[in-house]
Amino acid sequence: MGELRAGFHGDLEEIRDAIVRLGATVIDLIPRVTAVLLEQDLEGAEYVILGDADVDTRATSIEERALSLLALQAPVAGDLRQVATALKISSEMERSADLCCNICKAARRIYGHELDPKLRGIIQKLSDQAQAEYRQALDAYAAVDAVRAAALPDIDSFLDDLHRQFIQQILESHAAGSIDLQVAVQLALVGRFYERLGDHSVNLANKVCYIATGWLPEHESRRSTEAADSNER
Amino acid sequence: MPVGINELVDQLRTAIVQIDPSGRIVLRNSAAERLRSSHSGYLIEEAIERQLERALAGTDSEETLEFFGPPKQVVVVHTSPLPGGGAVALADDISERRRLDAMRTDFVANISHELKTPVGAMAVLADALLGEDDQETTQRLIGRMVFEAERAARTIDDLLQLTEIELGTEIATIPLDAVSLMQAAAERVRHSARERSVEVHLSESAEPTTVVGEPRQLASAIGNLVENAVKYSEEGGRVDLSISDDGDSVAFTVSDEGVGIPQREIERIFERFYRVDKARSRGTGGTGLGLAIVRHVATNHGGSVEVMSVEGEGSTFVLRIPNSQPVDPPEDASRAEQEVQTT
Repeated sequence: MGELRAGFHGDLEEIRDAIVRLGATVIDLIPRVTAVLLEQDLEGAEYVILGDADVDTRATSIEERALSLLALQAPVAGDLRQVATALKISSEMERSADLCCNICKAARRIYGHELDPKLRGIIQKLSDQAQAEYRQALDAYAAVDAVRAAALPDIDSFLDDLHRQFIQQILESHAAGSIDLQVAVQLALVGRFYERLGDHSVNLANKVCYIATGWLPEHESRRSTEAADSNER
Repeated sequence: MPVGINELVDQLRTAIVQIDPSGRIVLRNSAAERLRSSHSGYLIEEAIERQLERALAGTDSEETLEFFGPPKQVVVVHTSPLPGGGAVALADDISERRRLDAMRTDFVANISHELKTPVGAMAVLADALLGEDDQETTQRLIGRMVFEAERAARTIDDLLQLTEIELGTEIATIPLDAVSLMQAAAERVRHSARERSVEVHLSESAEPTTVVGEPRQLASAIGNLVENAVKYSEEGGRVDLSISDDGDSVAFTVSDEGVGIPQREIERIFERFYRVDKARSRGTGGTGLGLAIVRHVATNHGGSVEVMSVEGEGSTFVLRIPNSQPVDPPEDASRAEQEVQTT
């Protein structure tokens, strides 16, 4: 029995390693796609978009291994939370890689249009911040560090501010005639993609808190709803 | 006492992982253990595992991994089957080698461009002059020839100056008034700044500060920083100059509100002839050697040069000259590049 559980924990470790590696791939993708966008690198865009199939395969493999562990090992408590979150985290990461592909697709759509330095500067900041958040969340996951993970929602508010600044700059650049409407729309989408990357890192951080403590922010809102319901009654 | 093979292997920077025929890890040196301390390390580890599987099947393989970082990193993972069964993987970080290769290749291409372009232009202009009778056209062509000749002369002058600074000879340091050095640099760009409505502002708080250095080299380095700040400022922009002394070193800070430098270019701007925006920087009349001179002056004085820049917001360069300086300048100029700190 002891050997069987040792095998189970080995499998669990492998799933964790696979998640960390998938997250590391996303961390490397963020500056890569930013360079594609800023340097109008069509070849780089193609490389990233083609590579997405591999990310999808790895995410699916994690899900299958997690499901297999659930079915065969019936984990409980902390182990169960790890397996259950693996299912969710892998899809968060797969979606994050999709967002990186979307940035490449936007880069293709605005190919040949110059971006003014102010727009480029904020894009670089959005990228740096999104990557820093993802790195923080992944480090928290690798170390199961709930304290570090709990800081992510506050850190993410900086990315939200940058996103607002970016939208403002898009409007100004469009009004000044440095970018046309089509480019403005694509850039607004790009801003949204970076902002969503930040949201995914917050989700990942929340899952780390859940693994460590069994608590999720959703529990708080559910408790509030239940309290409101009982008051009404 | 002789050192064991495992201790020796642990001293290597190359990550080494050895597996037995069943795929079990039998050796993982310290460099391989350290892979788990960075996100790129996780991906290198993944590549090692992938390659080792192939090596177990009997094939040598090599994979080059390029990470965007920061910092940018290039790693080669090489795996081979072992004669007695099992396989070994070696992961080498070749980032510095790649950087130096790129620097060398670009330097050769850029120097030939910088010197051949004005010479080629003069040849074409001289050829056009040969069959030209019209006085006005002749004057115009001669004017262009003078311009191209001056451009080539400027490049050669800067190259000679850079070579002299690189050699580290004639560095006789004396105490100098830092504020006067900054004021002289501001004075030199006064005309071009006025032409472009760029305000050059020397901080009021710049109190008398003494810096120990070689006068000509420091004047050249500070002059280059101030000149660049004006060149790359938008019309109506502002350049701020300030001096501070923290007791250990004197810092000359030059900030502009110009176009800024793309993050990916920052690590290369101190290379000779490296230009971020080739069309724009050639148009400003620079030789592409200014920042290389600044870097070498900093090194000769045992100091450093730092840059902080955001596109669209501007750049800040800080030249630090220590108050106590080494007697001899560093011998290896390439080390200077590592001292250049970027943020």
